[in-house]
Amino acid sequence: MIHYKNILTLLLILSAFANAAAQSADISPERKRAIDSLALEKVRDLSKYISIIGSKNTPFSEATRVMDRAEELFAPDAEMGVSSLNRKEIAYYKVRKYFERLIALNYDRVTIQWYDIHYISDLERQPDGRYVGVVTIYQRFEGVSDDGMRYRDTTKKDITIYVERKRTQISGRVVEFWDVLLGDIRVTETSA
Amino acid sequence: MRLTGLIFLILAVAPVCGVQAQLAQEDESRLYAQTKQVNQFFRRFNGEEDEKGERYYPRDRLYRSPKLRRKYLGILFDASNTGISNDLKVEFAKDVLDKEEPVILDFHGGNWFSEVHTTFTYNGKPEPVILFMELEKDHLGHKWVITRVHADMFDPYFGRDTTRVGRFLHPLSHELDFMNLRKAFLNPDSVSQYTTKRFRPDHLSLLLYEVRKGNMKFQSISEVKFHFFQIDGWYFELSQFNRPGYNTGWLISNLVKLNNESEKATLRRYLYYELAAK
Repeated sequence: MIHYKNILTLLLILSAFANAAAQSADISPERKRAIDSLALEKVRDLSKYISIIGSKNTPFSEATRVMDRAEELFAPDAEMGVSSLNRKEIAYYKVRKYFERLIALNYDRVTIQWYDIHYISDLERQPDGRYVGVVTIYQRFEGVSDDGMRYRDTTKKDITIYVERKRTQISGRVVEFWDVLLGDIRVTETSA
Repeated sequence: MRLTGLIFLILAVAPVCGVQAQLAQEDESRLYAQTKQVNQFFRRFNGEEDEKGERYYPRDRLYRSPKLRRKYLGILFDASNTGISNDLKVEFAKDVLDKEEPVILDFHGGNWFSEVHTTFTYNGKPEPVILFMELEKDHLGHKWVITRVHADMFDPYFGRDTTRVGRFLHPLSHELDFMNLRKAFLNPDSVSQYTTKRFRPDHLSLLLYEVRKGNMKFQSISEVKFHFFQIDGWYFELSQFNRPGYNTGWLISNLVKLNNESEKATLRRYLYYELAAK
């Protein structure tokens, strides 16, 4: 589902590239920058949702609603692959399950912060014609129990983005736009 | 890491970090310094991005600039690996940054592959399996494909002592419609002695067969690295380093000068576990 805010961004991209060759398989630097902005917006939405879901101040009903919204950012079957400094092997979770585990963490206070760093890969075309990229971001987690137990970690999140040209009708006109969906996420605990 | 490289990064990154108040600036500059993706390794190696990771394009002044490339190359080695001598790195850099013919890594240029260490269960028991993967063109784009597999668990079934005479089908077996095959297959342990000297077991076929039969199931991945033969006369290995400090992420963990095609072929066989002692 496309959110209204994202439609606005999409329209901006559309107008910026109205004269671009519509069928070209190559993505120009300008278009790449616009797609990067859209991808980053989705990633920021996800970061915001994770912070809300993880917060102990969020009522369960609100967390459930946010989980639904967060799930809409993802392509079907997206998974989280999680490893830690102590366990190199990857544990796999469906996105929903990952969020549910976040809610269930046994801390009395949870703080989730995001480093002001991101790295966006080039876009590569896959056999079905869609483009794929990876956005890397970093999260700092802190959980504190009432008895003073404190757990902290920094995780690197490598987030798959799928970029696809789609068509929609606006006021009776068919317009093409680039849409971004999130895919699998690799979560690695870092030593930073 | 060479001091100049470290200084380059810290100076370049510090003024532009925009650190969130709660988070330590040092942490953040370390994360900037980290080669965060294999994609970033390519871009840094080729001098195709600035210190914040913003991509340069051919029309940008610093795109593939030798000065920029020299700075990046210094931080792309695993500094803790004393096995790569400084002289070798200098020789490599000289070849890569040659004024007349600079060497650029090409994502779609072939001659590089991935080694993925995985765990499968075989009849419920965890077993390590190594997958070798390459990029392949397909329809409108590219995809990673499995080209080879090595699993220690398969090795005992193909063990064969070629120095001894051992068991064989005599040269006139054909006159008897190979009736002695019955005896050859009677003892499963010695069946491999009846194959040609050129026979190389294909673990990929075995893996596909066992997975298809439901005997093997994928469990997880423990390590990924890459092997590059894309630069004439050189091989290097790319590994991920998750540790404190600035010299982290995807870094060159091994560098070998290849003097001829024979050395290259031998090294490839070694990497594919076709030679002993890996």
